[in-house]
Amino acid sequence: MGPPKRPNYKPEKASKKRKKDEEETWIPEEEDTTENEGAAVPEAAARNAEKNDEKIQEDEFGAKDYRSQMILKPDNVSRPLWVAPNGHIFLESFSPVYKHAHDFLIAISEPVCRPEHIHEYKLTAYSLYAAVSVGLQTNDIVEYLKRLSKTTVPEGIIEFIKLCTLSYGKVKLVLKHNKYFVESPFPEILQKLLKDPVIQECRLRRTVEAEGEDGFITQVQDKKSALTFGAKPSTSTETNSEGTAIPDDITNFYEKMDNEEDEEESNLETVSFEVNQEKIEVIQKRCIELEYPLLAEYDFRNDTVNADINIDLRPSAVLRPYQEKSLRKMFGNGRARSGVIVLPCGAGKSLVGVTACCTVRKRALVLCNSGVSVEQWKQQFKMWSTADDSMICRFTSEAKDKPMGCSVLVTTYSMITHTQKRSWEAEQTMKWLQEQEWGIMVLDEVHTIPAKMFRRVLTLVQSHCKLGLTATLLREDDKIADLNFLIGPKLYEANWLELQKKGFIARVQCAEVWCPMTPEFYREYLVCRTSKRLLLYVMNPNKYRLTQYLIRYHERRGDKTIVFSDNVFALKHYAIKMNKPYIYGPTTQSERIQILQNFKFNPKVNTIFVSKVADTSFDLPEANVLIQISSHGGSRRQEAQRLGRILRAKKGAIAEEYNAFFYTLVSQDTMEMAYSRKRQRFLVNQGYSYKVITKLSGMDSETDLHYKTREEQGQLLQQVLAASDIDCEDERVPGEGGPRGGPGGNRRVGHMGSMSGADDAVYYEFKKSNVNKHPLFKKFRY
Amino acid sequence: MANNGLGSSKQSGKPENSALITQTNLECKNLYDYLKTRPRTVLEKLYNHPAICLAVYRELPELARQYVIRILFVEQPVPQAVVASWGSQSFSKEHTYVTKVLSELNVWVEDSLPGGLLGWVLAPTFKKNLKVALMGGGKPWSMSSALEPDKNPREIGFLDSYSSERWECVLHYMVGSQQQEGISADAVRILLHAGLMKRDEEDGSPVITRQGFQFLLLDRQAQVWHFLLQYLDTVEQRGLDLIECLTFLFQLSFSTLGKDYSTEGLSSGLLIFLQHLREFGLVYQRKRKAGRFYPTRLALNITSSQNKNIPILEEDTPKGYIVVETNYRVYAYTDSNLQVALIALFTELMYRFPNLVVGVITRDSVRQALRGGITADQIIGYLKQHAHQKMLALEAKQILPPTVVDQIKLWELERNRLTYNEGVLYSQFLSQADFNVLKEYAQSNGVLIWCNKEKRTLVIHKNAHDDVKKFWKKYSKGS
Repeated sequence: MGPPKRPNYKPEKASKKRKKDEEETWIPEEEDTTENEGAAVPEAAARNAEKNDEKIQEDEFGAKDYRSQMILKPDNVSRPLWVAPNGHIFLESFSPVYKHAHDFLIAISEPVCRPEHIHEYKLTAYSLYAAVSVGLQTNDIVEYLKRLSKTTVPEGIIEFIKLCTLSYGKVKLVLKHNKYFVESPFPEILQKLLKDPVIQECRLRRTVEAEGEDGFITQVQDKKSALTFGAKPSTSTETNSEGTAIPDDITNFYEKMDNEEDEEESNLETVSFEVNQEKIEVIQKRCIELEYPLLAEYDFRNDTVNADINIDLRPSAVLRPYQEKSLRKMFGNGRARSGVIVLPCGAGKSLVGVTACCTVRKRALVLCNSGVSVEQWKQQFKMWSTADDSMICRFTSEAKDKPMGCSVLVTTYSMITHTQKRSWEAEQTMKWLQEQEWGIMVLDEVHTIPAKMFRRVLTLVQSHCKLGLTATLLREDDKIADLNFLIGPKLYEANWLELQKKGFIARVQCAEVWCPMTPEFYREYLVCRTSKRLLLYVMNPNKYRLTQYLIRYHERRGDKTIVFSDNVFALKHYAIKMNKPYIYGPTTQSERIQILQNFKFNPKVNTIFVSKVADTSFDLPEANVLIQISSHGGSRRQEAQRLGRILRAKKGAIAEEYNAFFYTLVSQDTMEMAYSRKRQRFLVNQGYSYKVITKLSGMDSETDLHYKTREEQGQLLQQVLAASDIDCEDERVPGEGGPRGGPGGNRRVGHMGSMSGADDAVYYEFKKSNVNKHPLFKKFRY
Repeated sequence: MANNGLGSSKQSGKPENSALITQTNLECKNLYDYLKTRPRTVLEKLYNHPAICLAVYRELPELARQYVIRILFVEQPVPQAVVASWGSQSFSKEHTYVTKVLSELNVWVEDSLPGGLLGWVLAPTFKKNLKVALMGGGKPWSMSSALEPDKNPREIGFLDSYSSERWECVLHYMVGSQQQEGISADAVRILLHAGLMKRDEEDGSPVITRQGFQFLLLDRQAQVWHFLLQYLDTVEQRGLDLIECLTFLFQLSFSTLGKDYSTEGLSSGLLIFLQHLREFGLVYQRKRKAGRFYPTRLALNITSSQNKNIPILEEDTPKGYIVVETNYRVYAYTDSNLQVALIALFTELMYRFPNLVVGVITRDSVRQALRGGITADQIIGYLKQHAHQKMLALEAKQILPPTVVDQIKLWELERNRLTYNEGVLYSQFLSQADFNVLKEYAQSNGVLIWCNKEKRTLVIHKNAHDDVKKFWKKYSKGS
C-alpha cells in the first residue's frame, strides 16, 4: 500500500493570513514626518539576513526546511545553539555552556525573545556593528559561532557576518589632548581612506617627528589598568559545575576570547592621523558613505584641556553585577565609547548614568524628557555621588538654577531643541551650553525622542561621549535603528527574567481582565463612527466597575495603585467619580509634585489616576499595582514603559510569589482585544506571561460599586454620546506623534509647555496674550 | 483573588451546545462501555473464561467490587434493600450507579425472593469462573508457557523497541509520511472501518479523517485499545470467533513481559489473530511458524481503563520532546515526521532544523485544530504528555505555562459563545395588553427566551409550549 494523501483540510498557510491581520491592525504612531533628511546610515546597515532564506524550500507543514543546509554534529547535545540561515539563533538556556553562549550572543545579536527555556536571537547588521565596536573580530565571531552550534553553520550566515563586520569598527575617531585623530590598527585601511579626496581635505598635517614613512603616527598603547566602578559587591567567582560535559573547544575558546580582550589593551599597535577639528562632521559622514563608520571614543584620561570635575561615587553606591557589566562594555579599553545601554525600568538606569559621569569626571549633561524626571535625576546624583547642590544645576522652565559653570547640568530635550523665542536668561544659558565641550552626555529614555529632535540636540551640543539609556529599545516605526549611528551601538541589554529571578526587579503578575460590554454600549459601538468607538469601550460600565473593584481590593491590601488612562475624558470621569487625584497634561508642575508626594507619603492617598504623561520617568517606587484602562493602540513600548512604573524591586514581601500586579482592562469583542494582543508582544518575548481573567470572584459581594443599574449606565451612555470629538482622542504628548488627524488645534493652549515642563513661563503667557489681553498690559509685551 | 472564571464558565457552557459540535468526535470506549453494548449471550460466553471474569472484576468501580465479593459465596439472592443498606445513605448516588453497571454487564441478575421481594444474585457463569480466577482450581486459564528455553531469547528492551516501531508504522501510515514502509491491507481496512481514515473521493487512496487526528493525540494505551475495539468489530467478517479472540486478548493482558509463550493448541483462527497482533506490535514472533511468541508492553494491561495512568507504559513512550514557552513558542526536539505532523495539527511551524522544529501556537492554528474536531483538552493533554524533561524539572506545579493552557481553552470557549434554545414563536397579538399578559406569565414561569415589545412577538421554551398554550386559551376565553 502506498502512503495516503495529505488531508484536504490541512492547515493552509496561516502565516500569510496573519501577516494580513497585522497590516490591518497596524496603526501608525509616533511617526516622524521629516525623519530621513540626510540620514547618514551606511549601506551595509540595510543588509538583512532575512533575505537569505527566501529561496529555501518549505516542507509539507509550511515550515522553512533547513535540514538540507546543515549537518548535525555528533556531540550536538552538549552544544547550545542552532543557527538558521536567516540569522535567527536559538539558544538552550539549560545548556551547561549557557553562560558563555549568552554573553557571546548578547554581544553579536539582538535578543528576540527570552522566555524560560529557549531563547531566540537575531543577527542584524546593527548588532554585528555593535559587536565589532566592542572589540570582537570577524574571525572570532565566526569561529565561536561554529563551535557553539549544534550543527554546521550555514554558509550564508558566515558570509553575512563577514560582510557586516569587515569594514565596521576598524576605524575610530579618538579625541585626545584636544586633538581629533582617526585611529586604526590596520594601516591599509587608513591608506585606503586617505585616497578619498574628501578625507584628504579633512586631514590636518603638522610637521611632527612621530610620523612614520607613510605619514602615520604610530603608537603602542600602553597597558591600561582595568577600571573599577564604585564599591564592588564581593565578587563571586562562579566555577562551572562539575560533571557537565562541555566540549573542550568551547571552553578553550572562551578563555582565549577573554584573554584577548586584555591583550588587546596591552600591546596593540595603532596608526592614526590627525583631523581638522572643523571638519569632524564631514569626515564622519564621508566615512559612513565609504562603509567605514567611525567609532567615537573619548580618551578622557588624557584630556587635559577640559578640567576634571570633582565628583565621585559615594562609598554607599553599590553596583549590581549587570550594572557593572554594562559599564564595563562602555569603558572596556580605558576609553569611553558612545552607545546605548538597555536595562529594564526600575533596574537602576540612573545609577549607571551617574557612575558613568563619575568615571569620566568631566562636565556632564543629562537630558531627560520631563520636568519631573529632571528633579529625579538631581536626586539620584545627590544620592549616589559626592556632588552637591552647587555642582548640579537644573535647566528647566520652572527651576532655573544658575547653570553657568556648573559641573552637572540636568535638562530636558525640549528645553534644548526649543525653537521659539526664549527668555533672556534661558537664551544666555543656551549660549553657554553650546559653547561648552561636554565630557559626557547622558540621554535618558533615548527611545522616546524622534530622530529629528535628536539631531538638533547633537548639532547644538558638543560632547565627547554619548550614553543612551532606555528600557525598551523599540519603536513601532522601526526608526530605532538610526540611533545606532546617531549615538552608537547598543552596548548592553539585560535579560528581564534573569533580573526578576535574582530579585533586582519586582516579580510582576500581568493580567488581562476581560470586561464584557454592556448590551447598550455594544449596540452603540457597532453603529457609531470609528472615532467614538474608543470612548465607548473605555467608558464601558463593566470596565468602570471592575476598575473600582480592583482599586478597592488593593487599597484594602495596603497597596499603592496607579491607574493609567490615555483618554482624558475617561481619566477625568473615572477619577472624579471615584474621588481620586489625577495628573494629566495641563496639570501644573507644582501640583504634580504635590500629588506625587502625597502618593508617596500620605497613607490616605493610595490611588492616583494618570494620563500618558506618566508613562516614562515618573519614578514611583512605592507603587506596586498598575491598572490600565485605556492605552495607545498597539504600542508595545508603552506597555513595557508602564510596566516599568511598578518594576522597582519591592522591599520585603518576598514570601509571595508576585509582589506587583499589572492589570490591563479590555472590553470584550472590541478593537481593544486586538490592540492588547499586539501590545503584549514585547513583554511576552521578555518572558512575561499574561493571565487572562474573565471573571473576578468577589465582584458580586461588593454592592456599592457605581453604575450598577441600567439607569445609571444609560446616563453614562448619554454622557459618552454627548462628548465631543476631542474627548475621543488620546492625549497627545510632545515629542511623540505627528499629525494624526482630528482637529488638534483646539487644544493647543498651554499644551506643550506644561506637559513636559519644557516651555518657559514667559513664552507661555506671550501666546496667551495674543488672544485676549487687557489693553493695559499691552505695553509690557516685547 | 483574581480567579479566572475558566472553570465555572466551562461547565455552564457545555451541556447544551456541546452536542452540536461533538457528534463527529472520536468516541473512546473503555472496557465497560464496550462490554455493555455486547448482547447478553456474548457476555455469557465470555464469562466462561476466568481471565475475562478477572479483568471485568478489576475494572469494576470500587463499590461494585465490594458488592461482588460480599455475595460471591452467597448461594441465594440477596434482597436489594439489604445491598442498599451496606452503604451509607449519603452515597445513594454511587449505589444506584453501581447497580446499573453490574446489571448492564450481566454480572448480577435480578431474582425474586420467596417473599416476593426482589434480590440480586451473581450470574452463575460469572460466579463460577471468578472463583476459579481468584482461588485457582479448574483448568489452568493462563496461557501455557511450558516450553523449552528459546535459543535466542528476547530482552524486554528489544520487545519495547519492536512494539513501538510496529505501532508507529501504523501511525506513520495515517499521517502519510513517506519514510515508512506500508502496512497490510487488513490494517488499512480496520482504519477505514474505524473512520480514522476514509477513501479519497478522487482517487480512492485513504486519507486521514478528523477522528483520525483525534486518535493520534490519544496516549498510546488508549490508541491501542481503541484500535483493537475497532478490530474486534470486524473480526466476525473475517470468519474469526469474537469470543475466542477476546478471550485470547484477555489472557494476553495477564501474561508476563519478557516471557515466551507457546502457540501450541491455538486454533487456526487464533493463529490468524496472532499474526494481526504481531503486525501491530502487540506480540513478537521471530518467524511466522516459530511456535512461540512474546507479548509486548502494548498487550499488557490493555483492558485497564485509560484514566488510571499506569506508569508501566512510560518507558515505552518516547522521551518528552516538546518545550512550550510563555510566548506561545513550541520547540520540539524531534526528527520524526510523525511527531512533526502531530504538532503541525495545532501549531504554525516556522523552522525545521535537523533535530528541532520551531513553531508557534496562534489563535488561527488552534482554531484550525478545533475546527478539525480536536478539543482544547486533547491539545493540552498531548503537550503535557510529551513535555520535555526540562519543563518537568520546573519547580512550579504546572508543566505547561498556565497562560498558554488558559489561552487554548479560551480559544475553544470563544467558539461556543452562542447558546441554542429550542423555542416557539408567539406573534400577532391583537393588543398590547394581551401581549403583556402572556409575557408576564411566561416571565414568572421562567420560560421566556426573548420578547420584543414593539413587534409584539415573544419566544417561549419549547417544552413549556403546551402549558403556555393552555394558559392562553383559558385567558382568551375568560376575557
